Amino acid sequence: MHAPALWHSRRFRAALIQTAFAATLVLVVAFATLTAQRNLSEMGLTSGFAFLWKSTGWEMNFTLLPTDSTSPYWWFLLMGLMNTLFMGAIGLTGATALGLAVGLMRSGRNPAARLLGTIYIEIFRNIPLIVQLFFWYALANALPPPREAITFGGALISSRGIYLPTLALSQGATAAVVLALVAGTALALWFALSRRFRRLEQPARRRLTLAPLLLALLAAALIVVTGHAPGTPWLSNPVAEGLRINGGLRLQPEVYTLAIAITTFGAAYVGEIVRGGFKAVGRGQTEAAQALGLSPWQQFSRIRMPLAFRAMLPILINQYVWLIKATTLGIAVGFSEFFMVIASSINHSGQTLEFIAILMGGFLAINLTLAAVLNRLNRAIALKGHQTGGAA
Amino acid sequence: MTTTLKTTLTVSALALSAVAAHAEGGPTLATVMERGVLNCPGDIGSYLGFAEVDDQGNWKGLDIELCRAMATAIFGDPTKSNIVPIDWAQRWPALQSGDIDIVIKASGGTFTRDTELGLQFSNSYYLGTTKVMAPLALGLTTLADAAGGSICVPAATSIERQVASYLDAKGIEMEIVAIENNEEVQEAYFSGRCDTFAQWGPTLAIAASQSEDPSAHALLPDVLAVEPEVMITRQGDDNWVDIANWTLSVLLYAEQEGISSANVDDIRANPPTAEIGKLLGVNPGMGTPLGLADDWAYNVIKQVGNYSEIFERSLGTGSPYGMPRDLTALWNAGGVLYPYVID
Repeated sequence: MHAPALWHSRRFRAALIQTAFAATLVLVVAFATLTAQRNLSEMGLTSGFAFLWKSTGWEMNFTLLPTDSTSPYWWFLLMGLMNTLFMGAIGLTGATALGLAVGLMRSGRNPAARLLGTIYIEIFRNIPLIVQLFFWYALANALPPPREAITFGGALISSRGIYLPTLALSQGATAAVVLALVAGTALALWFALSRRFRRLEQPARRRLTLAPLLLALLAAALIVVTGHAPGTPWLSNPVAEGLRINGGLRLQPEVYTLAIAITTFGAAYVGEIVRGGFKAVGRGQTEAAQALGLSPWQQFSRIRMPLAFRAMLPILINQYVWLIKATTLGIAVGFSEFFMVIASSINHSGQTLEFIAILMGGFLAINLTLAAVLNRLNRAIALKGHQTGGAA
Repeated sequence: MTTTLKTTLTVSALALSAVAAHAEGGPTLATVMERGVLNCPGDIGSYLGFAEVDDQGNWKGLDIELCRAMATAIFGDPTKSNIVPIDWAQRWPALQSGDIDIVIKASGGTFTRDTELGLQFSNSYYLGTTKVMAPLALGLTTLADAAGGSICVPAATSIERQVASYLDAKGIEMEIVAIENNEEVQEAYFSGRCDTFAQWGPTLAIAASQSEDPSAHALLPDVLAVEPEVMITRQGDDNWVDIANWTLSVLLYAEQEGISSANVDDIRANPPTAEIGKLLGVNPGMGTPLGLADDWAYNVIKQVGNYSEIFERSLGTGSPYGMPRDLTALWNAGGVLYPYVID
């Protein structure tokens, strides 16, 4: 037997090993699936995904689109996923904004602000998230019942939720207004910040940035005017009627307590990441900026902040992925996010393996997408051939 | 009605005795005997009255007593029962994977569980109704008066579905607040998050009796559903279902015939009828068809008691909850429970 010459090629050997590895992996997964399927049918269990089209027979407490007990499982799962993304968006934005403030307080020169920042971080970082969540939820439930609701400048605060005065619009019209404003702001930010448009002259670029903002405002105003039923008041004020409060925009306790818990807990970690980011900016950079005669604000916004941001981003991505997963605590207070919908579905339908697979697939998809987008951003802003300041 | 019931009883008894005559201990019984201990589900935390942990760390409650009765039937010793803490969602996977041998966990017999989850039921050992509790201060007479209000329900249970379909059927609009943990959903109601609280009747009565002011809450007359609670086994082991069914029948038969742990020795020394003689192992034939010892029923009554004794110390007068038997009484006392015929 003579070994063929191909065997001596390193590239061929590597390819062969990788193929063998991939094939083994596929075989193991296929074998596990088939075994599970055979065992399940032997136990008399129904497997497969046909149940996704059956109606659930229970209800979700909070959904972004209309849902009732006759909706099928796949719709419930989709609504649960949207709730997770919704909570993730609120939690991440809030945690970033608050964390930035806390981090800046801790890395500033004012001793009072530093102390305040330290106290905040030590408290919120050292108490488990679920304990904080129960605390906020208990606090929300301790508010007075609807009939004795606290009135605060048109808003009603009760154990059923916080009701704010709002424009008298249908749910669809409200969603359209929010969508238009978010899309407009996102486009404007992209035009203003992306390097893709850096060759444009300054006035042209400013016009390009303002255009989507103005368009979005115009669209929102149009929707408000057309979506409003003629002859009715423009504002919807919350009013207590019997056991409930009608009108106004309702913030449900399950929703806002989870948002507060994730925001405040996440902010403690983001705050430390921000402080670390500023620490990572070399003293030399600041001194050079001072030597150039830049004002303190210019030093901060032009030199320290951009460099610190680059140092923070990779750690922030990690923290964001973690916070998205933390939304699963919603089940503890009855916020029907993806995990709670899955847990309820398992108990109602008994299709444990299928739902666990969907759960893992769902979170994998969310977090891989988030990580991919932020990593792309990280690569886009990284300074070519530069460590970010470091111990210069 | 009576004839139908009689026929059903006779047919079931005939069918069961036919199977039992040929059975010689199934695979589950063999596994349990080899292990030397019977594994039953407990609860994560406490499900008061059914599976709760006392201050010495011992499990007690109606479901636990039934597990102890089965362990006594098999081993002649109630301490050969092992309670595995398991939450609601874990009961079916735990049963199918063999972590527990039987589910006795206030679980109802449902169509899906029977046909799609590969499970088999014993006779019903308890009848629970789903009811709604409300503070007296709200002045509600029925659930319809609470329209527009909110209702707390335990998430991921059959109660969640019963509430949704009851509200739909009656055209009542309410906000459903579903929370998973028993203690948390109860706390949400008592702290005022919800106007009303839907739960399994016994749990509601227990929750009210444990609250700060039990007289401030009342059960509304609406009955959302009746759920027969059953012992649940894996499908395909008839002998194991027989053991569960006959353990239950012995408990009920003993109550019906006035045999209790206190007088069982006297009655055994001098059995009034041939059937009772057979039941208590004086005459042979009670054990072999099931793969058990002939005196298994005597051991169960002697060491665990009859159904009435079990009920009273778990939920009734001997417990902090003082619940009446209601539907769960024997047929001759206004309830719906009955033993099969011992012949």
